[in-house]
Amino acid sequence: MNDYIVVLEKLIKDFDGKRAVDNFSLKLNKGEILGLLGPNGAGKTTTIRMIMNIIAPDSGNVKILGEKFSEKIKDRIGYLPEERGLYRKLKISETLSFFGELKGMKKIEIKKKGNELLKKFDLEDYRNKKVEELSKGMAQKLQFITTIMHSPEFLILDEPFAGLDPVNIEIVKNIILEKKREGVTIILSTHLMEYAEKIVDSVVMINKGKKVLDGPLSEIKSIYGTKFLKVNYNGNSEFVSSLKYVKDVRDYGKEMEIELQDINDKDKLLKDLINKLSVNSFQTTEPSLSNIFIKKLSQTNEIVEGDNI
Amino acid sequence: MKICTIIKKEYKQIVKKKSFIISTILSPILMAGFMFLPILLQKAGREVKKIEISDFSGIIQKQFIEESNKSKAVKEALKLNFTNIIKTDQKQNDLIKVYEKNTLNSKDSNFQLIPEYKNKILDKIIDGLILIPENVKKTRQIYFCASNISDFETNKYISLKIQKILSSNILKEKIGDPKIVEIVEKATQNIKPTLFIVKKEGTTKSRSEIPYIMSIFMLALLFSIIMAYGQLIMRGIIEEKNNRIAEVLISSTKTQYLFYGKILGIGLAGLTQVTLWIILGGVFVSRFSFKIDKSVLSFFTPELIIYFVVFFILGYFMFSVLFSIVGASVNTDQEAQQYATPISFLLIIPFIIGIMITQNPNTSIVVLASFFPLFTPTLMFMRISVAIPSFFQIACSILSSLIFIVFLAWLGAKIFRTGILMYGKKASLKEIIKWTMYR
Repeated sequence: MNDYIVVLEKLIKDFDGKRAVDNFSLKLNKGEILGLLGPNGAGKTTTIRMIMNIIAPDSGNVKILGEKFSEKIKDRIGYLPEERGLYRKLKISETLSFFGELKGMKKIEIKKKGNELLKKFDLEDYRNKKVEELSKGMAQKLQFITTIMHSPEFLILDEPFAGLDPVNIEIVKNIILEKKREGVTIILSTHLMEYAEKIVDSVVMINKGKKVLDGPLSEIKSIYGTKFLKVNYNGNSEFVSSLKYVKDVRDYGKEMEIELQDINDKDKLLKDLINKLSVNSFQTTEPSLSNIFIKKLSQTNEIVEGDNI
Repeated sequence: MKICTIIKKEYKQIVKKKSFIISTILSPILMAGFMFLPILLQKAGREVKKIEISDFSGIIQKQFIEESNKSKAVKEALKLNFTNIIKTDQKQNDLIKVYEKNTLNSKDSNFQLIPEYKNKILDKIIDGLILIPENVKKTRQIYFCASNISDFETNKYISLKIQKILSSNILKEKIGDPKIVEIVEKATQNIKPTLFIVKKEGTTKSRSEIPYIMSIFMLALLFSIIMAYGQLIMRGIIEEKNNRIAEVLISSTKTQYLFYGKILGIGLAGLTQVTLWIILGGVFVSRFSFKIDKSVLSFFTPELIIYFVVFFILGYFMFSVLFSIVGASVNTDQEAQQYATPISFLLIIPFIIGIMITQNPNTSIVVLASFFPLFTPTLMFMRISVAIPSFFQIACSILSSLIFIVFLAWLGAKIFRTGILMYGKKASLKEIIKWTMYR
């Protein structure tokens, strides 16, 4: 059992009588990337803060890197909080020195590693600029650098893609995968499902502080099965949702994701579609993570009714 | 050590600022200005004042105006110009009589000036009017009406001079022999002491207002740097809260390190500034010592400067903790001001007490108040600057301050820990107290 990098046992946290995190447990293997999903206010950040020992759980246990949280461990963890912040008056080089030293790095290490990462993120020309002179995206990248500079064994990234353009999202994504290959364990919290889908090994979804979904991504997708069809079309598709054998439709205007009651009805569907629409493509597919997310969310919200998200 | 990283960062961030360099240089210049001020004030500053006299007794006016206008001191230092009123109005004399009668019977009565006299003062044709009633010899009562009655020097001159003329007048009348009158007059002349301030460093001639002005000045300096550095901490914390750096910092090191590192770092910057001032001041004094009033120089003893540093450090720690509690409890600078104002009162109250007590810095209330930790830095320093209390008292006040600081810092660290992660809403006092209860 000591192989686990992160072990959370029955975490409970209340704020002013409201339960923010309810009986949350989790185990994470070395080198695994976990996607922590959930709507706003689901308790993701609270969970992460408890893992980081920023706030104490009301009950339950947290073990990281095989031990209880301690000052020693802090240097082996990298944490990118959802709310970003750097000292506006510090230069980039000073920022790296400060956070590097704070993570117990030596000066030479900071210089070497800092230069390497600045180059990777295309920030090396800005070394002597103050943070307040950087664009939002640049500051975002700088903060990402300060998070991974000290080569942590365990990374918590809360919305690492927020505020980045596609090019930089790609850079960050590649670095996350690079870290994974190095054996770094990562918890990734994000709303950008299409990126999460491509990199996470397993998924935990929480809603209203409770875990509603948990398991390897492939397993989850297979549970939701192959009853899904992706259709690219032109025309008015309104009628589709009223078809009897169609369970659910997610329509994006030119493309729709259709869930059937029974996959054997797919030929019937194709016929009906061709009658009324011009169909460009028609294929069976796995449900997308965002589809699962929305489905699961509406399910659990029906159970716990009344509250708004 | 991670705390060193934080101290270093906070220190550098302040010392590198332009405003730090500017205030370091500008303040001694201001201070130098204060050193020259007493001299400058004496030379310039007074304007010529025209004062009229309306003498209903007829025994004072002539001699008063003659002697006053002949005197160099009156003309050049006091810049007073006395003339007799062209037409004395008997109506005014009657009004005085009514007033005196009423006062004698302890009835409420307003003193009334005839419109002609009143308008002269209001229209600034004259600066003041001396009324000498008919029976001044008996009542020894004169009236001085002016738009500004706070010119102590003028008031004092008028009173002394008329007293002298009056007594000389009475003496002449009763004794008759001018020789004896002269002897008696000489014998009853005022005695003016020359003032010497006695200190360990030596005895120096001084004027009574010098220690007063200088100690208020030093107190103002102490007050303003404690406030300035306290507010720097407050704003730094609010920035960390707003930028959400707090979370990263806390996940990298202990909150205590963060809190104490911040206070120590900024405190060191403050100490650097004070040290630079002392050095700059020393250089300045050694260059221009011949130009500075000796009584001003004698005020700045090494002892006083050491105590200034000591009480700056004590005051800084107390108030930086208070300000950091405010910073951790609010979200914006505007919100912070609401809380910061009561804190500044904690600094201003002893300041006011201090000003009031310069005449008697060792009354028991003041002595007691100077041991109240929040008042100690300013009030004790004020006492020291006026007349050094016993070393035992100073040591006690320093000790009680230190104990208080340790307690306050412990409390502050707890509040800081919770407050720095609270975004979006201003904490109430009740909540802040609750935070101190957390593990």
